[in-house]
Order: sequence, then C-alpha cells, then structure tokens
Amino acid sequence: MTVVDTLLSGQLLFAALVTGSTYALVALGLNLVYGTLRVLNVAHGDVVMLGAYAGYWAFTGLGVSPLVAAPLIAALGAIAGLLLYRGVLRRMLGSGAASSVRLEGNSLLLFFGLSIILQNAAALALTPNNRGYSYLDTVVHLGGVAMTGHRHAALVIAGATCIAAALFLSRSLAGLTMRAVIEGREAAYIVGVDVERVQAMSFAIGFASAALAGVLLSMLEQFSPFSGFPYTIAAFIVIILGGLGNVAAGLGAALLLGAIETYGVALTSANLRSVLLYGVFVGALLLFPRGLFARRAARA
Amino acid sequence: MPETLASAGASRIWGGTLAALALALGALPFVANDYAVATGLGLLMWLALTQSWCVLSKMTGYVSLGHVVFYGLGAYLVVVTWQQWPLWLAVLAAGALAAVFAALVGLPVLRVRGPYFVILTFGVAELVRYSILAAEAASGTASRILFGAPDLVFIYFAMYALAAAATLLLAQVAGSRFGHGLRSLRENEEAAETLGVPVVRYKLIAFVLSAAIPGMVGAVMALRSTYFVVGQVFDPMISVTMIAMALLGGGDGTRGPILGTLFLFTISELLWANAPLAYMLILGAILAGFVLLAPDGIVGIAAKLRARRSAPTKAPE
Repeated sequence: MTVVDTLLSGQLLFAALVTGSTYALVALGLNLVYGTLRVLNVAHGDVVMLGAYAGYWAFTGLGVSPLVAAPLIAALGAIAGLLLYRGVLRRMLGSGAASSVRLEGNSLLLFFGLSIILQNAAALALTPNNRGYSYLDTVVHLGGVAMTGHRHAALVIAGATCIAAALFLSRSLAGLTMRAVIEGREAAYIVGVDVERVQAMSFAIGFASAALAGVLLSMLEQFSPFSGFPYTIAAFIVIILGGLGNVAAGLGAALLLGAIETYGVALTSANLRSVLLYGVFVGALLLFPRGLFARRAARA
Repeated sequence: MPETLASAGASRIWGGTLAALALALGALPFVANDYAVATGLGLLMWLALTQSWCVLSKMTGYVSLGHVVFYGLGAYLVVVTWQQWPLWLAVLAAGALAAVFAALVGLPVLRVRGPYFVILTFGVAELVRYSILAAEAASGTASRILFGAPDLVFIYFAMYALAAAATLLLAQVAGSRFGHGLRSLRENEEAAETLGVPVVRYKLIAFVLSAAIPGMVGAVMALRSTYFVVGQVFDPMISVTMIAMALLGGGDGTRGPILGTLFLFTISELLWANAPLAYMLILGAILAGFVLLAPDGIVGIAAKLRARRSAPTKAPE
C-alpha cells in the first residue's frame, strides 16, 4: 500500500474519528474543572482508568452490558467528584492564596500525588496486569470500511455527549453561568453567580464524563492501572488548542489530535505514538506559553 | 525571619549534626560491608539530586517535574561512550551535556509559568525518554551490558563529591545576591523585574546550575548498573522522588533537603524491596499531604513550633 493509499483509506479516518472523539470526551471534563477552578487536575486520566475498571467489572462480574452500566458509572463519577470538591478542594481554595501562581504550581503537585495514589492503590487492589474484554465486536462493513460495533458505539456516545455539552454551555442558563465563571470568576461573582455551586457542578460533570470515557475505552482496548496518564496529557493538548470552556472548538482540536496520532503512527511506527503525543504537547505549550490566559486577554 | 537567640542555637546544633553526617558518610566505606556502602551511595545520590533540584525549584518557585531528564541524559552519555572515552571525561561531559540541554530548552520553557511549567517539564522529560527509546528500538539496542565498571568504593566517593558539591552550590546560591534575586522573582516576577532583577537571565542560570550535577549523578550511577536499560534512567518517579524529598524538608536552604532526603530514603529502604506499591502510596500521600497541610515541610513545622515556644504568653490561634 502506498503512502497515498494509506492516507486516503476510510479505515484510518474512522480510527482517527474514534480516537479523537474519546479524547474530546476526556478533555470536556478537564476543561470545565480547569476553567472554573483554575486547578489542573492531573489525576483526571486516572478517573478515566477507574471508569474503565468499573465498566470491566460490570461486564465480566455482573454480566451487565457496558452501555447499560455507563450512565450509572458516570453518576458514581459525579458523586466522587462532588465529594472531592467538598472535602479537599474548597478548603484549599478557601485558604485565600489560591490566586497566586505558586499555589497553582503546588496544587498540581497535590493532584500528582493523588494520581500516584490512585494508580498504585489500583495496582495493589486490582493487580497491575492488563485487562480487556470483548463486547459488541461484530464487524460492520460500510463502503469498504470494516468497523467493529464497539468502536461505532464509542464514537456515537462520545460525540453525542460532547455535542450535548456544547449545547448545554451555549443554550441553557446553567451552562451560560458556567461559562461566565470560566471567563471571569470575580466578575461572575459580582453579578450574583453562585460561584461555588458552579464549581461543584463542573467537578461533578468533569468526573462523570471522565468515568463515562473510561467505560467506552474499556470496550476498545486493554488497560491497566497506569493507562490513565496519557489521557490527561491528550486532554491538556485539546484544552490548549481548543480554548477554555469552548467545547465545540475542543471537539475540533481533539479530532485533529486523533488524526495526528493515527496518521502519524500509520506513516511511521507504533513506537512513535508516545513521541508524537508528547511532541504535540510540548509544542502546543511552547506556542501558547501562558496557556489560555494570553489568548483570552487578546480576544477581550 | 530575624535571627533570634533560639534560632542561632538551633543553627549551631544543626551545623554539628551536618558535620557528623558528613564524617559518618565519609568513613562508611572503611568500616562497613558492601551492602551498607551501596545503601550509603543511594543516600548520597538522592542528596545530590534533591539539593540540585532546589537550586531551581525552591529558589525560583518554578517546580520542575522533569529533572530526571538530566540524570537520564548523563547516564545515557556514559553508556554510549563506554570504553571509548576515559571515565572522568565521560562524567564531566555528562554534566556539560545536561547543562547545555538545560540552556537550550531553558529559554522557551522558562517562559511558561505555574502549573503549566510543572506539566511542561514533565512533558519534555517524557518526550526525550520516548525519543531515545524509539531511536534505540530502531537501531535494535534496547539494553546493554557494561563490562569493566570501576569498583563500588570509587563510585561511592565520586558520589560523595557530587553530594557535597550540590550542597555547597545550594548554600552558596541561597546566601548570595543572585539567590536573593531568585527569591524576589519567586515572590513576584513582575515586581522583581521592575526593580531591576534580570529575571530571564537569572532563571536560566538557575536552571543550568541545577541541571549539571544531576547529569553527573546519572553518569556515575550508570557505572553501578552492569545491565543498562534506557527506560529506567528516565523513570519519571526519579523526578517525583526529588520533589517529595525537597517538599518534605521544606525551606529554601540546604537543611530541608537533607532532612527530607534522610527521612524519605529511610522509608524507601524499609519498604521498596518488600512492598514497592505501598512505598508509592506513601510517596503520593507525602506529595498531596504536605502540599495541602504543611507546604513548608519539616523545616516550616519546626520554625512554627520554635516560634510558639519562644512566645509562650501569646494565646494559640
């Protein structure tokens, strides 16, 4: 197969779409949490990993279809997010120094510690082995492209959730309030927005969508207690490129990242997957050294 | 904090403890067996790494989560030039390589602040790690066996020198005009720049200074491994451990890193061999717990206790 054939194959396009839409879903949650609280939850990918385990147990232990279990697992994720916000985050942010850059750097260490705890607790309790299961792996042919059922399902669910979230943020009052907090926390507070409630809500939505993404990913590929972190990195790339609180642009950025990864690996070798991911990550951060603050200021 | 009588006494006690520690570590190879010397080598390695990390991250507040990249590059250079370059040259070149790498990536990377800087340094280290892994896979040399490495006592004293050099470097920087400049940009970079602190140059110098010794530490530690695997010398947990040790100790002098290193190294020696996952859990808990509850570490807690004791009339808050 020549290079051109590789690039034009519908198979690759489909793979890129599936990868991109799952990245978009993972990034959606991180975007809302980071946007409203300005703390970077590097344990976000580990919530994805826990969601994957929940989906795995639902299917292999209870015999429940992951698609049926997904809403329930997402709800559990939301509850975990709320508890974490009430228990730890509010207290840390309440200490008053939250605005300083140094504390933001430290808060990253806090979440990094949490990430290490989650990964190793999972490895301790659930063994560090790779796990996977096959569900809905019937192949559907569509115009010469062979697609497995679970990839289809993941693409549709992840895509639909992102579109629903974009509509929620642009149409509903609660969504507009959330965007107001993302754009300017103090200003939103002054005009009467209950900032704390919005932050709690975005934490809940953030964890729920991460857990949902985990369930979808558990259908697609093998995972271990340590497979969460690359998703944090991918989500972070999407936020840098797409913009804070901008879910529609995030979807575009996620599809771009999915395409870069899928086509990059297809053209070179699977060994370069991580090189590509971290290369794009470092490149994106260097291009936007202040993350989105600089771009927001430029737009305003 | 003004120097009080109590803290002057405390610093005299501290000076004595430090001298005793230096002497004990120096005498170790003459009195102890290989196992104890290897353990001492580990302690010296972490001391050198943590003190070096502090030169950048404690002084400037730019928290590097990617310092393992310097260690890994140094180790890799020694292995690649194995039995082609004399050892002393390879070790010095490892330090130079780490410093040059820091100087090259420093300018763009140090423009990024706060949590972005933390995660970016992690990304840079992982990018270098995966790039070298891919290059090794392409050339079919994933691991190497090193013949003819120098004996343990030689390696031990090389590491002793590096740990001492890193401690002296941090002490020197912390007490200098340059160090005050770094502290000022840590507290408020714009204000420091307005007052005439050359922040860009200072940050870059601190970055380069904190990179050179870890490069040499990696080079010396590579001599210990008869079987060399690239993935291991770029293990992100090496960066995390440096941070945990420095955070545990607290303060921005040499005292905190020494206390933190002693403390965490003891825990790791007790747990690593038998219960590595439990050790990792403790490491994570130390990171999260100290950031949340005691961001100034052991030194901060001690200072608070001393302040409370020296002002007994004041009611506790």
